[in-house]
Amino acid sequence: MNTLPVDPLLLSIATPLVVALAIGLGLQKRHSVKLAYVGFGVPALIAVWLWSQFPGDPGASYVFMTRYNTGLQDLGFTLALGLNGISMPLYVMAGIVGLAAGLYAIQSGAERLKVYLMLLLVMQGGLMGVFASIDIFFFYFFHELALIPTFIMVGIWGGRDRSYAAMKMTIYLTAGAMLSLIGLIAIYLKSGAETFDMITLRTELMMHPMEFVTQKYIFGILMVGFGTLVSLWPLHTWAPLGYGAAPSSAAMLHAGVLKKFGLYGLIQIALPLVPAGAAHWAMPLAVLGVVGNVLIIGFITIAQRDLKQMIGYSSVMHMGYAFLGIACLSTLGAGGVVLMMVAHGLSVALLFLLSTCVYHRTHTFDMADMGGLAQKTPVLAAFFVTATMASIGLPGLANFWGELAIFVAAWDFSPTLTALSVAGVVISAIYGLRSAARVFFGPTSEQFNGVIAAHPPADLRWSEKIPALILIIALLFIGFWPKSLSTPLDSALRALYPAVEAPAAQVVSR
Amino acid sequence: MPSTSIALFAFLAPLVSAAVIALLLRRRGGIASYVSSAAAALVAAGALALAFGGERFAFSQEWLRLGDFSLSIGIKYDDLAALMLAIVGVVGFCVHLFSLGYMADDAAKARYFGGLSVFMFSMIGIVFADNLFMMFIFWELVGFSSYLLINHYHEKQSAADASKKAFIVNRVGDFGFLLGIIACYYALGTVSLDGIAEKIGAGSVVTAAIPLLLFCGAMGKSAQMPLHVWLPDAMEGPTPVSALIHAATMVAAGIYMLCRIQVLMVPEALTVIMWVGTVTALYAALCAIVQSDIKKVLAYSTLSQLGYMVAAFGLGSMAVEHAGEGMMHAMVLPVGVGAAMFHLTTHAFFKALMFLGSGSVIHGCHHEQNIFRMGGLNRKMPLTFSTFTIGVAAIIGFPYLAGFFSKDAILFLAMKNNTAVFALLALTAVLTSFYMVRLWRIVFFGTPRSQEAEHAHEGGLSMTLPLVILAILSIVGGYTAIYGNAFAEVWALIPVAHGSDHTIILAVSVAVMVLGAGSALLLYKRLGGDALEAKAPAVFDGLGLLKESFDGLYNYYVAKVQQRFAMLLNFVEQIFLAGVIVRGFAGVVGLVGIGARALHVGSLHAYVYWFLLGAVLLWAFAAGGF
Repeated sequence: MNTLPVDPLLLSIATPLVVALAIGLGLQKRHSVKLAYVGFGVPALIAVWLWSQFPGDPGASYVFMTRYNTGLQDLGFTLALGLNGISMPLYVMAGIVGLAAGLYAIQSGAERLKVYLMLLLVMQGGLMGVFASIDIFFFYFFHELALIPTFIMVGIWGGRDRSYAAMKMTIYLTAGAMLSLIGLIAIYLKSGAETFDMITLRTELMMHPMEFVTQKYIFGILMVGFGTLVSLWPLHTWAPLGYGAAPSSAAMLHAGVLKKFGLYGLIQIALPLVPAGAAHWAMPLAVLGVVGNVLIIGFITIAQRDLKQMIGYSSVMHMGYAFLGIACLSTLGAGGVVLMMVAHGLSVALLFLLSTCVYHRTHTFDMADMGGLAQKTPVLAAFFVTATMASIGLPGLANFWGELAIFVAAWDFSPTLTALSVAGVVISAIYGLRSAARVFFGPTSEQFNGVIAAHPPADLRWSEKIPALILIIALLFIGFWPKSLSTPLDSALRALYPAVEAPAAQVVSR
Repeated sequence: MPSTSIALFAFLAPLVSAAVIALLLRRRGGIASYVSSAAAALVAAGALALAFGGERFAFSQEWLRLGDFSLSIGIKYDDLAALMLAIVGVVGFCVHLFSLGYMADDAAKARYFGGLSVFMFSMIGIVFADNLFMMFIFWELVGFSSYLLINHYHEKQSAADASKKAFIVNRVGDFGFLLGIIACYYALGTVSLDGIAEKIGAGSVVTAAIPLLLFCGAMGKSAQMPLHVWLPDAMEGPTPVSALIHAATMVAAGIYMLCRIQVLMVPEALTVIMWVGTVTALYAALCAIVQSDIKKVLAYSTLSQLGYMVAAFGLGSMAVEHAGEGMMHAMVLPVGVGAAMFHLTTHAFFKALMFLGSGSVIHGCHHEQNIFRMGGLNRKMPLTFSTFTIGVAAIIGFPYLAGFFSKDAILFLAMKNNTAVFALLALTAVLTSFYMVRLWRIVFFGTPRSQEAEHAHEGGLSMTLPLVILAILSIVGGYTAIYGNAFAEVWALIPVAHGSDHTIILAVSVAVMVLGAGSALLLYKRLGGDALEAKAPAVFDGLGLLKESFDGLYNYYVAKVQQRFAMLLNFVEQIFLAGVIVRGFAGVVGLVGIGARALHVGSLHAYVYWFLLGAVLLWAFAAGGF
C-alpha cells in the first residue's frame, strides 16, 4: 500500500516531538517559533492529505499500515501504525485542531513561550500517535505522553484556582488511565493471544470469545476507567474546573482531542473485543450518560455565569450523547459517536479559542459583566454565534450528523432514553443562545462601558481569525458533506460490528 | 433547460449569494443587497417557470449512510411543492425589492441581505424536501435565519431577547418533531414522503402518537398555542422580515408540512389538530383587538389566520360528489389539505401586502409604530393607503377578493364537519373584521396625530412596486382559474359549497364581515385614544390580561422554575461532588499507595513517576512478571 519514502503516520507523530526536542535543547526563541509552525503544520497537512487519499471501502482493514521493530515483539508490543475507518476521522480532527491550537499558541504571547510550545508539541505528537496506533500498548503510551503536558500547562499557565484544578485533574485522569490500563492488561492476559496487537486480538477473540463473566468485569473496568477520562457523570468534576483554569490552547487540545481517547477506546477496542460485557453494561452506561450528563449537567450548564466554565460544562453534557450512542451497540450508534467526536472536537476547540478572544476584550469571564460586545467586534460575534450553533447541533455544521445518528440509533435501544436525550437539544439551545446574547447582544453594560473606556476593544486580529477559520471551515465542510467521513467509517463498522450487534441482541432477548 | 437543473439553480442561487456576501461583501452593503435580490429574482423566475412549465419530477441522492440507516437529500416536486415554491419565490422577490428601499440607510445591510438569502435557501429546502429528515434539516435552518433576522437590531435588548425566545420555543416544537420522525422511521421503515404514502396505502397503521409528535413541529414553526409566544415578539425584526418570514412563508411551513404528511393522519390526531387551530385562531383574534403597535396587530392577526389554516387541515376529509363517466359517485377526499393550502396562498399575498404596507407606513413616519400617533395617512400616502385597503378587504372576506374564497372554503368545511368549530371560526371572522377595520381606520383616517405622521411621505419605486404586485394578487389570487393547470392537484381538494350550502355560507360570510366592520366603524370615531378602553375598560383590560397571561406563565417558568432548578443542581454539584466525593476519591487513590499530596503541582517529577510506574507495571504484566 505504502509506496512513499517515509511513513506519513510516523512523520506526523515524530515531527512535533522532534521540534519539541529541538526547542527543549535550547533553540533560540525566534527559531523555536518558526520551527513550531512546522511542528503543528506537518501533522495537519499529512492528516488532510491522508483523508483525501483514504479509500471509500476499507472494510475492517487498516490503511497506510507499517510495523516497526522495537525489539519487544516477544513481549507482544509492536509499534504498528495504521488507520482504519474508525480512527481516520479522529486522526484528521487531531491534526486540524492541533494546527489551530498551535497557531493560536504561537502568537499568544504566553510567558515562557518556548516551554509552552514545547509542551503543546509533545501533546500534539502524542495525539497523532493515539489515533494512528494499532497496538494497544502504544495507544496507551501516546495517551500518557499527551496527558502529562496537560497537567503541567494547567499548573503553570492556568488561570484561577490553577493548582487545585491541576491537582484534581491529575488525580482523576491518572486514576482513570490506570483503571483503563488494568482493563487493557486483562484483555491481554485473558485473550490468550499474548499480544497487544488489535488486529490479532480481534481475529482471536472473534473465533474464541472470552467467557461472559470475564467480559463483564473487563468492560466494567474499562467503562469506569475510560468513562472518567471522558467525564462520565458523576466522575466528571475534574472537567469544568480543569478547563476553566487551563490556558486556551491546552483546553482546545484536551477537550477537543485528548478527551476523545476514552470514547475511542470504547468503540475501537472494548466493544469489538468484549461485546457481551458491553451488552451487560449498556443500560447503566446509557442511563448515566442521559440522566447524568445530558440532563443534570445540562441544567447545571444553564446556571453558569463564567463563560469558560459554561463551555466546560457544555462539553461534559455533550459526552452524554456519546455514551448513549455507544450503549446502542450498533453500527449506527457507534458511527454517530465517531462523527460527534470529530464535530465536538472542532466546535469545543473553537469555543475555547473564541472565549479567550472575548476575555482579551472584556477582561472578565463573568457573563453578567458583559453585554453588547457585538457592536464593537462584529466578526468575533459572528464566529461565536457560528460556534454556538455548531455546538447546539444546527444542520449545516458538523455536529448535527452525529447527534442525529445517535438519536435514531437510540430509539431502537430505548425510546424513553431517546426522548430524554433529545430534550438536551432544548437545554443546549437555552444555555448556548443565552451566553451568546449575554456576551454580544443588547446594550453595552455599565461594567463593560468602563472596560471599553480603558481598553477600546478591537475586532479579531488575523492571528486569531486564522485558527478560528480553520475550525469553522472544517465544521462547515463536514456539515455539508458528511459522507467524506461517514463512508469509510460505515465500511469499517460494518465489518467489525456484527460481532457487537449479535451479543447485544442476545442480551435483549434474554 | 431541464426542470431539475432549473430547480437546482433556484435552490442554490440563494446559498451562493449568502456565501459570497459572508466572505466578500461584509462591508459592501450596497452590492450585497443587489446580489441577494438577484438571487431572489432567480428563485422567483425559476419557481414560475417550473410551476407553469408543467413538468413534475422527483430525484434523490444519498447523503449519509451508517449501517442500515440512510439519509437522503432529494427533491419531490409535485403540484403542492410547485404552489409553495411559487409563493416563496414571488413574495420573497417582493420583499427583497421592498428591502432595497426600506433598508437603504441601514449600517448592517450586508448582514441583513445575507440573512435573507440564508432564509430563501432554507425555505426552498423545506419545499423541496422529499423525506422528513431533510425537512427537519431545513426546518432548523429556517429557524436559524429567523433568529438571525429577528436579532438584526441586536443592540436592542428586546431584539436580543426576542430572537433567543423564537429559537428556543421552536426547539421545543422540534423536540417533538424529531422524535416523531424517528418513531415514524421505526414504525414504517421509511421517512420518504412517497415511501410513507406507499406503506399507508398498503395497509400499515400508525398510532396517533406519531402524527401528533410531528404536529409539535408545526406548533413551533406555525406558532400554535401554547407555543405561539415567540411570534408577537418576533416583530422586533425589520418589517420586511416580518412580512416574508413571520407572515407569508416560514410560519406557513408548519401547515405545508402537515399537508405533506396528510396520509399519516388518524382521526384522533386530526381532532387534536383541529382544536389547537381553532383555539389559536380565536385567542389571537381576541388579543389583536387591544394592540396599539401596528405590527403587533398584524402579528396577532397572522397567528389567528395560521390557526384558521391548522383548523382547516384538522377538519379533515369530506365526501365529495364527483361527476365522472356519466354518473355521480361520492369520494372521500382530504379536502382539509385543499382548504388549508388555499388559505395559505391567499393569506401569503394579503398578509405580506399588509406587512409591507405597515413597513411603508413605519418608514414614512420615521419609525413610529404606535397607531394612535398616526392618522390622516390616506392623503399623505395614497398608494400605501389604497393597497393596504385592498389587503384589509381581502382578509375580512370582502366578496370576490382573495380571502373571501379561501375563508368560505374553510367555513363550509367546518359547517359540514363540526358545528362547534364552525361557530368559533365564524366568531373569529367577526373579530378579524373588527380589528382590521379598527387598525385601518385609526392609521389612515382623521388628522395626523404626531409630527411624524404630519410629515409622512411615500417611499420610492422599490417600495411601492411590491405593494402593487401583492395588491393585484390579493384581488385575483382567489380565482383558481388564473393559475391554469399548474396547481390542479391542490385546487381539486378545495371544498366548494353547492346549492343551499352555498347560499348559507355566502350569507354567514357577508354577515360576519359586516358585523365586525360595522361595529369597528361605529366604535372608533374619536381616534386619539383607544375607544374600547374608554367605553368598556373591563373588556379592554380582560383582553390585555389574556394576552399577558401566557408570557407571564412562561416568564414565571423560566425565572422561577427552570433557573432555580438549575441553580439548585449547580449548588449540589459544587458542594456535594466537589467537596465530598473528590476528597473521598483522593483518599482511595491515597490508599492505593501514592498519596495525593505527593502530586504537588509544578513538580514535574511526580508526573513522570506516575507515567513510568504505569509503563513498568504494563511491562511487568506483559513479560509475565506477575
